[in-house]
Amino acid sequence: MNKKEFMDNLNATLGKLPVEERNDILQDFEEHFTFGLEEGKTEAQIVESLGSPNHIAKELVATYHVDQVEGSITAGNILRAVWAVIGLGFFNLVIVLGPFIALVAIVVSGWAVAVSFIASPLLVLVNMTIALDHFVLFDLFFSLLLAGLGLLIAIGMFYVTKVLMNAFVRYLTYNVNLVKGGMKNA
Amino acid sequence: MNVQFKKGVLELCVLVLLDKQDRYGYELVQRISDRIAISEGSVYPLLRRLTKDGYFTTYLKESTEGPSRKYYKLTDEGRRYLDELLQEWETFTNGVNQLIEEGVNRE
Repeated sequence: MNKKEFMDNLNATLGKLPVEERNDILQDFEEHFTFGLEEGKTEAQIVESLGSPNHIAKELVATYHVDQVEGSITAGNILRAVWAVIGLGFFNLVIVLGPFIALVAIVVSGWAVAVSFIASPLLVLVNMTIALDHFVLFDLFFSLLLAGLGLLIAIGMFYVTKVLMNAFVRYLTYNVNLVKGGMKNA
Repeated sequence: MNVQFKKGVLELCVLVLLDKQDRYGYELVQRISDRIAISEGSVYPLLRRLTKDGYFTTYLKESTEGPSRKYYKLTDEGRRYLDELLQEWETFTNGVNQLIEEGVNRE
């Protein structure tokens, strides 16, 4: 691989990053090549000791996305960060994707329960319109009780979702630090 | 050597090198790779991350020959972090060394 191939490869994998960020990174490597060549090394030697451009870029992309999530937690940001961290290696596939799926399952099922409880009086009404003579007061009161419960669960889920998402972001950050080293986690 | 392990050490090396004086990227990479076998390219993501975390600031300096150089400067926060890492490193290596000595003595 020569310099051009290295830079093209790096640039291609960095593709999703904003232009300034990408240019800044490319500039660092541009500089590296210049000084290396000045010292009399060949392009091939420099590329050889730099290592895989693909891997370097993946690491940079993962760091970038996790930083973004720390700035603002949105579903899109989290997905991109999860994806980028998983891309770092098989190890991360296991320790990131597993907890992520579990967490999404908990959040989704919690909300599903809340929504269906809240909607239950509606179902009683539907039932009434379908079978006019079949009106049981117990059904109505019970469904109202469920609706109340559903509202409480919804409020609870609102906080649970927030807390879980924050915890997961911390976990992601920890993961990136782990993969990149950092004696704190050694 | 284990990649994960090496990366942790790399962070410490970079911080130590910047403790006494500001250095530019290429210089940092060469200093480290003179002593330890590393993929030189992995130092740059590390430098970016530590800069984002507020441990370094960077500035460009024109040089008489060649392009301008991007220098890294350790911040106060970075220096505190370095002290922390150094302490951990000492505890860690002391522990490992003792284990090695005990292991070797018994044989």
